[in-house]
Amino acid sequence: MKRRDIMRLAAFAAVLAATTALLPGKDALAQDKKWRIGFSQATTIEPWRAQFNKDIIAEAAKHPEVELIVTDGEDKTEKQVADVENLIRQEVNALLISPKESAGLTGVVQQAIDAKIPVFVLDRNVETDQYTQFVGGDNKLIGRAAGEYAVELLGGKGKAQGNVVEIWGGMGTQPAHDRHDGFHEFTDKEPGIKNLLDQQSGDWKQDQAYNIMATALRNNEKIDLVYGHNDPMAYGAYLAAKDAGREKDIKFIGIDALPGEGVTWVNNGELTATFLYATPGAEGLRQAIKFLNGEKVEKTVTLDTMRVTKENAGQIMKDNGL
Amino acid sequence: MTFLRLLSQTKLYWGLIAIFLIGVLSSPVTSSGRNIFLSSGNLLDVLRQVSTTGLVATGMTAVILTGGIDLSVGSLMAICSVVCAMLLTVPGETPAVFLGIPAVGLASLLIGAVVVRFIFVNIEKTRSGIANIRDVHLDRMRGTLLPAVGGVILCALVLSFLLPQVQTKFGVLGVLLVASAVGLLFGAINGAIIVVGRLQPFIVTLAMMVTALGIARLTAGQNNAVLPVYTGSNATADFDVLRQLVFGIVPMPGIFFIAAIILYSVVLRFTPFGRYVYAIGGNEEAARLSGINAGRVKIVTYAISGLLAGIAAVLYVAQYRQGKPDAGAGLELDAIAAVVIGGTSLMGGRGSLAGTFCGVLIFGLLSNILQLHNINSNLQLVLKGVIIIGTVLVQERNAYDVLAHLRLTSRRPAQRETAAEERASRETLSLTMGGKEE
Repeated sequence: MKRRDIMRLAAFAAVLAATTALLPGKDALAQDKKWRIGFSQATTIEPWRAQFNKDIIAEAAKHPEVELIVTDGEDKTEKQVADVENLIRQEVNALLISPKESAGLTGVVQQAIDAKIPVFVLDRNVETDQYTQFVGGDNKLIGRAAGEYAVELLGGKGKAQGNVVEIWGGMGTQPAHDRHDGFHEFTDKEPGIKNLLDQQSGDWKQDQAYNIMATALRNNEKIDLVYGHNDPMAYGAYLAAKDAGREKDIKFIGIDALPGEGVTWVNNGELTATFLYATPGAEGLRQAIKFLNGEKVEKTVTLDTMRVTKENAGQIMKDNGL
Repeated sequence: MTFLRLLSQTKLYWGLIAIFLIGVLSSPVTSSGRNIFLSSGNLLDVLRQVSTTGLVATGMTAVILTGGIDLSVGSLMAICSVVCAMLLTVPGETPAVFLGIPAVGLASLLIGAVVVRFIFVNIEKTRSGIANIRDVHLDRMRGTLLPAVGGVILCALVLSFLLPQVQTKFGVLGVLLVASAVGLLFGAINGAIIVVGRLQPFIVTLAMMVTALGIARLTAGQNNAVLPVYTGSNATADFDVLRQLVFGIVPMPGIFFIAAIILYSVVLRFTPFGRYVYAIGGNEEAARLSGINAGRVKIVTYAISGLLAGIAAVLYVAQYRQGKPDAGAGLELDAIAAVVIGGTSLMGGRGSLAGTFCGVLIFGLLSNILQLHNINSNLQLVLKGVIIIGTVLVQERNAYDVLAHLRLTSRRPAQRETAAEERASRETLSLTMGGKEE
């Protein structure tokens, strides 16, 4: 009994020592860094978020004086709040956060502000305006660009004719509403354009969009244009049309323009066009460094969109190493 | 060597001590030289972060002790958080109120029944030592009539208190009451279907998980994305109580969690009900034959599990200022993991709440340490899984067997040294952790 106890204690101590040795107490590399910047990401599963992380990490690599800490909220509010609390405890010089949602993250952002940490809110806002800066795209602006192009594809201003299928993102999410409203500012002015579906949501997912489109194809002899609130849904609709043998007479428009997704599909001729929803990663980090170096920064930075068609898709893929 | 022996036998705390020491020894230090992990703020952060999972795990422990499982807790939390948020933000007659009021009524009936039942059983026990069948029938009469009357009165009181409030706002207590009543009701439905329909708890609570998520979404209606609770209006001002630090130190959710653990531990250790829970988990047939109403006990454990999910939901709303259908997603798995890490057997009949408390803290500290080291989040998931398996192995003392298999150590002696040792250790166990090892 005694011997076993001692053995066990010894084993315990050994395991403890080993584990402790494995976890570096303080990163030796971090010593010569001037700024520690924490970035709390909502989730990394979605391709757009993955690109977002890629952009911010690539930008950080250009600034040797910055140590960037990236956390992943795993798509749970409580996890992201815990991440931010953790970054506050680590006393980072600046906090970048892309909230999973506004209400749930407001409290902890306020906590960071109270701890005198400059906060840069990216992509989705929080319900306080005491942050240092907001950087994000404008979904309405992108929706307008898509709507304008759709009218052009269907015959131009005042003459546009055609049946449009719109596949919504998540119902009740702000981005979906903005992408819808912007688009309809242009298409609703055209008496020749008919909307076939009433608020059908594919929840941003390719498979759900496929099913919606398959049904729409069965119910409608003639579909001229599909507008998906993101590229995977537009592509899902394309696949449904392809399986029905009707992809040739339909134009497909998506949004997001990720190099590995939308841009590739446009380049392959599967989608007609996609519109860039730029990730605020690189710009947000640049602004934060600017601020830390004592310069003034704007309260709000709105990222511009860009139309991606067959002409420029190849170039964008080259730039991103595809 | 008594100290050592005690340490080796309270296997529960091994994992917790180990994780804690690793945290302390490896913690990064701030620029001013403070140990981040040990700073009181950080540890209290952990307590706050684990409290919702902890509350749910508390209810889950009793369910698992009876040999069951409750997969619906995450969705129940979703329903209750939506109800809670709507009561706070949406004035007028919302679906939440329609869901809430019958729930309060039925819940008060159930609570009445349970309370009266307890009183009678205890009187019965002290008077005759054991209840015979006829007494049980009498109990059943008394145990339904009285609470029915009581429940109706309570319901009327609650309604008269709530209805004027619906137009304006709910007090903290009102919201807490309604949300926990909704949780209790759904939990009781779980239990009733399992017992009356004689179905596997796994499939019933799985179905409830889906159903409850649907109800949560229906209740939330078009506000599917977020129901912001934090509007800066007075409606939520006194709700902030649930977010504040008590005495400026301990976060309120943590208080709820610890209180739940202590209360439920007392119930499991010192009441007949608690003994029945262990007895049913040990051998349900035997328990039934010795006159225990196994069905009723099981229903109560599921109901309490739902109740605690409801309370967790209110704390969730207070902390994150929102109630929504995706609150509590994946919570059931975290809770079950914490319970099992705490040494409770999924077969039922063996385990304790002290263990669950440790399990929940191990989980929370682990996440905290990995995050403090800024380890890649995908790697974190892998490490968490591996460490959970390791912890359970160490705590179940099977680590020794694994090592023996690998020829790294000699076989463990088949039996404990002596019967006296056995007894002594069992005493220490029950003293230190309140578990029952039979």
